[in-house]
Amino acid sequence: MAMQTSARQRNGLFSDQGELDDEDFISPTVRCVLFRLDSEVYGINVKKIREVLRVGQIRSVPGAPNNIIGVINVRGVIVTVVDTRRFYGLPSKVVDDYSRIVIVELDEDRAVGLMVDQVQEVKDIPESRVELMTNTREAGTAYIHGIAHYQDNVIILVDTDNMFSNKH
Amino acid sequence: MDEEILQDFLVEATELLDQLNEQLVDLENSPDDSNLLNSIFRGFHTIKGGAGFLGVMPLVEVCHRAENVFDKIRNQDVAYDAAVADVILRAFDKISQMIGMLNDGEREFEESDPVLLAELDAITKGTQNAAPVVESDVAAAVQKSPMVEVALTLPEGVDPDGDMTDEEFEALMAQREQITGSVEPVAAKLSLPEGVDPDGDMTDEEFEALLAQRADLTVEQPQKKTAPKLALAEDVDPDGDITDDEFEALLAQRDQIMGADVSVPVPDAKPTVAAPKPVERKPSKPAQDDDGDDNKAAKNTAESTVRVDTRRLDEIMNLVGELVLVRNRLLTLRSSDASLEEISNAVANLDHVTTDLQNSVMKTRMQPVKKVFGRFPRVVRDLARKLGKDIELELKGEETDLDKNLVEALADPLVHLVRNSVDHGIEMPDVRLTAGKPKVGKVILAAEQEGDHILLSITDDGKGMDPVVLRRKAVEKGMMDEAAANQLDDKQAFMLIMAAGFSTADVVSDISGRGVGMDVVKNMITKLNGSIDIDSAVGQGTHISIRVPLTLAILPTLMVSFGHDSYAIPLTSVQEIFDYDERKTNNIDGQKMVRLREKSIPLFFLANWLSPGSQAEAHKGDKVVIVAIGNQRVGLVVEQVNGQEEVVIKPLGIMLQKVDGYAGATITGNGSIALILDLPGLVQRFQ
Repeated sequence: MAMQTSARQRNGLFSDQGELDDEDFISPTVRCVLFRLDSEVYGINVKKIREVLRVGQIRSVPGAPNNIIGVINVRGVIVTVVDTRRFYGLPSKVVDDYSRIVIVELDEDRAVGLMVDQVQEVKDIPESRVELMTNTREAGTAYIHGIAHYQDNVIILVDTDNMFSNKH
Repeated sequence: MDEEILQDFLVEATELLDQLNEQLVDLENSPDDSNLLNSIFRGFHTIKGGAGFLGVMPLVEVCHRAENVFDKIRNQDVAYDAAVADVILRAFDKISQMIGMLNDGEREFEESDPVLLAELDAITKGTQNAAPVVESDVAAAVQKSPMVEVALTLPEGVDPDGDMTDEEFEALMAQREQITGSVEPVAAKLSLPEGVDPDGDMTDEEFEALLAQRADLTVEQPQKKTAPKLALAEDVDPDGDITDDEFEALLAQRDQIMGADVSVPVPDAKPTVAAPKPVERKPSKPAQDDDGDDNKAAKNTAESTVRVDTRRLDEIMNLVGELVLVRNRLLTLRSSDASLEEISNAVANLDHVTTDLQNSVMKTRMQPVKKVFGRFPRVVRDLARKLGKDIELELKGEETDLDKNLVEALADPLVHLVRNSVDHGIEMPDVRLTAGKPKVGKVILAAEQEGDHILLSITDDGKGMDPVVLRRKAVEKGMMDEAAANQLDDKQAFMLIMAAGFSTADVVSDISGRGVGMDVVKNMITKLNGSIDIDSAVGQGTHISIRVPLTLAILPTLMVSFGHDSYAIPLTSVQEIFDYDERKTNNIDGQKMVRLREKSIPLFFLANWLSPGSQAEAHKGDKVVIVAIGNQRVGLVVEQVNGQEEVVIKPLGIMLQKVDGYAGATITGNGSIALILDLPGLVQRFQ
């Protein structure tokens, strides 16, 4: 199932044109980078993403909170890499060829790396398809900004601001 | 209020305040230094000008009155004694406070402290009222009425050489008008512009308009001599701001003309007194002609900017150019079959350029230690006056450059140490005399560069500390037993004052601190990777020296590792390294200890702490690194010592800032990351 989804979604970028319906042309869109954790698809607004890196050497930091994998050197800047799976209650997973680190900019001088299972594509999601979660926030949805139903996908929009607010 | 102009003003005012702070105390020591006096005067004046432009009236009021006082002092009507200084310094504080509030975003001000204003006025009125602004105009006005042999009489009790009050001036004007009205056939009537309350105070503008009218009228009179023309010196922009010098030259010209033309006895105009007037008209930015520092680069807020000499920037540009050349060379070498020699030449060149570049960039962060020292004359003066002591503060090596962050970080510890010297070190004057010392105590604050360190020292010639008393107190406080106390050598005994709990209450009268304790000072210095050393002799004084690295950005470290993980230990705390030998250790109370020159030192296995689960104790060939943490020594057992390396400290990423035990991270030669250990934090976390 997971392989099927990902295979189809890897083609997604090229099959967009045919699938848009009228409503989507009118509605403003949010451009998102889509990535996968287990079989779920997550999206982050591209404006927040600085780059996507292959997983290189990660230096562990003994004593750090356990949702932190370690730190990496991004051209001379030390960036924390977090285990995104743990934020969503998933067990950790061994790094494989598909694993990527998504560097998210929190503000001008703070960035963080999200370890994800696989980065899929960049997609314009019509805002009309996004169902915001802010009003119905419960414990499990704390890091979810909203959910988009689009082209047979359920895309979970990641709330990065809330993930790295000062409570950590 | 225009924010941009305000920011410029704040930057300028802050600099002026720093300068004034020092100058005001200097002035007390050399009250006759007219350059200094003028400089102070200009300082207040510039702030007033800016504040006036921005419409911060309470600030203008204080500045204006302070200026008046200095005007009096300049005329030697008032002596700058301690009492006057107290008031002026209070005014200065008030001004600093208001500037500070402006800086914090405060835009509305209450009226200034009326008591302070009254006190300032009282000083000015000590001889006579201040109206220096008006005086030269009186002279100018009177001077232009030619050939009228009428004397204007001053009211009684007025010193003809002194300054004139507004009332007196108006009285004189009234007399003049009567006279001119009767003598001159031409009905020269001066009319006020409409809408002006004839009884109200005259503004400068109105006054000048009147003068202009008057001048026009008098010119028409046949008996009038040619109106004296004042010529501006060449190459002076007639529309530009007038500098004090130019103005004084003009005044001198005017005086000459007056001397020739005037037959009406008038109070002598004193050119120096009149100086403020034209300056007052300046917009917000009077020239700081004396500083030689008309570099108005500081366009931003004070906190986050540094001023960099353009020559330094050129140097950096030049080096970056070099760097590009080396890169190009390396790129060419890569594409061709280069000999090893060529490559190593290029690499050597690269090494050279980067080292130079690093130094140059570092220098842009450097600031003279004067920034910190500047405040001390005031601190010492106020404290000495409060305690009734006579103290001379000598500053040495103020031009020594220091990293900007260090400059800021050192300020508080130094204030504390200097206060201690003044408060507890220097004796009362009579005690000093009895002891056969000069009545005036001396505190020397010095800075000098010592290799890659800065050495700061505070020396006083006070009563010093007695190690015997310190040892006894340590025992009484229960910090150690008598045997341990007796084992301390004198230096170690002096270091006791840095221990927490030692300095708080009435321990030794010498050292009872106030505010931050000495332990806080010690901690702050340790945080800066610095060290403190105390030396003292009873009856002769105390010498405290602080060593801090030149910069906080680059840290000399000892690289150690176990497994594949490397860690950097700040070299300043490393004392010695030796091989780990199981047989020389013993377990005391569950704690592994090693005996080193008759002292037992606790041993900690770094691997146990940092990668639990590994069998650290089974390793062979481990090394022990003895480090000093505060006054305590511990041995860290590591698998391998890789040697010394200068590292660039980088902050750890988010969510890791609060993890104890790390001072940051750095990137090693092979591109991997090494964590820099913060030993006090680490020991606290695991012990």
